[in-house]
Amino acid sequence: MSRPVPRDELNLPLAVTSLMKGVVYRDTAETAWRHVLGLAAQISDYVATLGLAVVIDEAEGYAFLRSKGDDELADLGIPRLVARHQLPLHTSLLLALLRKKLAEHDTTDAGNRLILTSDQLRELITPFFPVSANEARTADQADTAIRRVVDLGFLRRMPGQDGEYEVRRVIKAYVDAQWLADLDTHLAEYADTMTQEQR
Amino acid sequence: MQFDEIVAVRKSSAAWRLLRADNAPLLLSFLGRVFVDDNVREISESALVNLLDDELYSLNKRLGPGTYPRTPKAYLDEWAAADTGWLRKYYVIESDEPHYDATPAVERAVAWVRSLRERGFVGTESRLNTVIELLRQIVYGGSTDAEIRLAELHRRRAELDVEIEAAERGDFHVMDATSRRDRYQQFADIARALLSDFREVESNFRSLDREMRERIATWRGTKGELLDEVVGSRNVISDSDQGRSFQAFYDLLLSADRLDELDDLVRQTQSLDGLPDDDVRLTNIHHDWLDAGTRAQGTVRRLSEQLRRFLDDQAWLENRRVMDLLRNIESSAYTLRDHRIDDFAHEIDSPTPQVHLPLERPLYRRASTVEVASDGIEEGHADGDSTALFEQIHIDPAPLIEHVRSMLRRRDQVTLADVIAETPMEQGLAELITYLSLTDEGFTKVFDESATETVSWTDDVGAHRSAHVPRVIYLRPSHDPDHPEENR
Repeated sequence: MSRPVPRDELNLPLAVTSLMKGVVYRDTAETAWRHVLGLAAQISDYVATLGLAVVIDEAEGYAFLRSKGDDELADLGIPRLVARHQLPLHTSLLLALLRKKLAEHDTTDAGNRLILTSDQLRELITPFFPVSANEARTADQADTAIRRVVDLGFLRRMPGQDGEYEVRRVIKAYVDAQWLADLDTHLAEYADTMTQEQR
Repeated sequence: MQFDEIVAVRKSSAAWRLLRADNAPLLLSFLGRVFVDDNVREISESALVNLLDDELYSLNKRLGPGTYPRTPKAYLDEWAAADTGWLRKYYVIESDEPHYDATPAVERAVAWVRSLRERGFVGTESRLNTVIELLRQIVYGGSTDAEIRLAELHRRRAELDVEIEAAERGDFHVMDATSRRDRYQQFADIARALLSDFREVESNFRSLDREMRERIATWRGTKGELLDEVVGSRNVISDSDQGRSFQAFYDLLLSADRLDELDDLVRQTQSLDGLPDDDVRLTNIHHDWLDAGTRAQGTVRRLSEQLRRFLDDQAWLENRRVMDLLRNIESSAYTLRDHRIDDFAHEIDSPTPQVHLPLERPLYRRASTVEVASDGIEEGHADGDSTALFEQIHIDPAPLIEHVRSMLRRRDQVTLADVIAETPMEQGLAELITYLSLTDEGFTKVFDESATETVSWTDDVGAHRSAHVPRVIYLRPSHDPDHPEENR
């Protein structure tokens, strides 16, 4: 376990810039992580002026900046710093399936990291593509979805291990029950209109 | 054991599978040496690959090349696969490299094969003594009746008194060499067995943890009932039989007095005459116990911590809800499978704030045009050393093709190593690369990735060099029965 940094050695600029650059993980950025832990309150005050809130999950070992709600931003009169991505169906689905995998993994395995091979990732998503003779096309589409999730930062290519990906635990914070419930409603409505159009 | 039970064990036991494996001697000797003899409990992939590479190299040298043709990594992958289960492959938090540990199956198989070795002397007396002592502990240690306890203590005192009197008279029994050897053998057996048991202790902890998680995940009652059921105490693992026995052992081992006494005793014992003092590892066995015990202790701590986190109210409910939602999402997604879904989009926040500073963007700058003036051109002269240009090696593929063809006239197929054995390479690596990229209508080339070959040559300065390459096979095309290339 990492020792806390002495109070007078804490470095706010380091903590804030690390967070501005992306999610800070205990396992890959230990120094920054310790400064973030020690400075939680100061960071919170500091980033509040940018319309951001800091989220630290000590148990899971990650910290990140999240945008304040749109209403709050409107009250403050500042624009939104955190981009909102529009994800196509299969990318959204892959995110949901990865979240499920992580939940399953937690029930069966003793907290080792969840590592999936690219074949396993493809297998996850291919059942949701139309049955087609052109398997190469399906594989391409699956790879596109996987690449997108990697770009978003929820999957990480394992360095030196060909075709292995780590499902980053921060996915829990983004793909949470609320997000999944929204996706569920959205998807059900969409499916409804689609099947009605067909009739 | 019943017939059917044995059939089932034969099918499911990883240790039995190991004994039946084709390369069991390699497995037993290699894994036995690294994980059992050297007491390694966690090793990174690269370190293990290096060790195995050395082992394979010396075996292939002794038994002929090709005895173990695959790469070390390929062997490790096979041994760590789910259906073999001899190595546990996992990622540790601090590193992106996979780590390995042997499973208890390896310990068992190694111990069994070792037990097949003939022993010149099998001590039995000490075992009987141990058995009696154990029974005494069970009977008197578990008795709540003060009378029985007192009677036993008095009996022991009487025995001691008799012994003390005899010793005062100078009449005492000296243990002879045989009894000492007998006891030493038993000590060695137990000491080694204890070390190998740790692996199983750890794996028991792990399966306990898995059972717990499964029960928690599939629990259908209320959370309160669950807590009553499994978490009367929060340390489910440490409170199991396995956990308590291990903790007692570990506490005993950790007490400095005990450790010093043990150290002292082992050294004194080994300095006595007439003992088969062939195993230096026994001298420090308690340090190995400590290492292994510490690791098991670490596993317990980590598992308890994770289990606690898993049980955490919020995580538990959230995971539940995620599973329920996913069922719906999946079924909706299935109904959409054969529809066009181009206009579906769902939002998610980026995990990183995006800052685009206006000043970071480059300002407009007129593309500069370059004037080309072609007047007044003079002849330049070189002032650098140009020999490097002439030292570039150009490999002419034609003679190489001819080498392959001439060998194919006699045979249907040749490997790259055959070709190089007959016509040694003169220009080193560049020539080897050219061989790998040869194309010609007179033959086809096949790369066999599953096997490697070693080719060697002598370079310009006379040093001997060799390279491992995938096996390359040059084949004569089968569609030309008249061998037209012979006429060319």
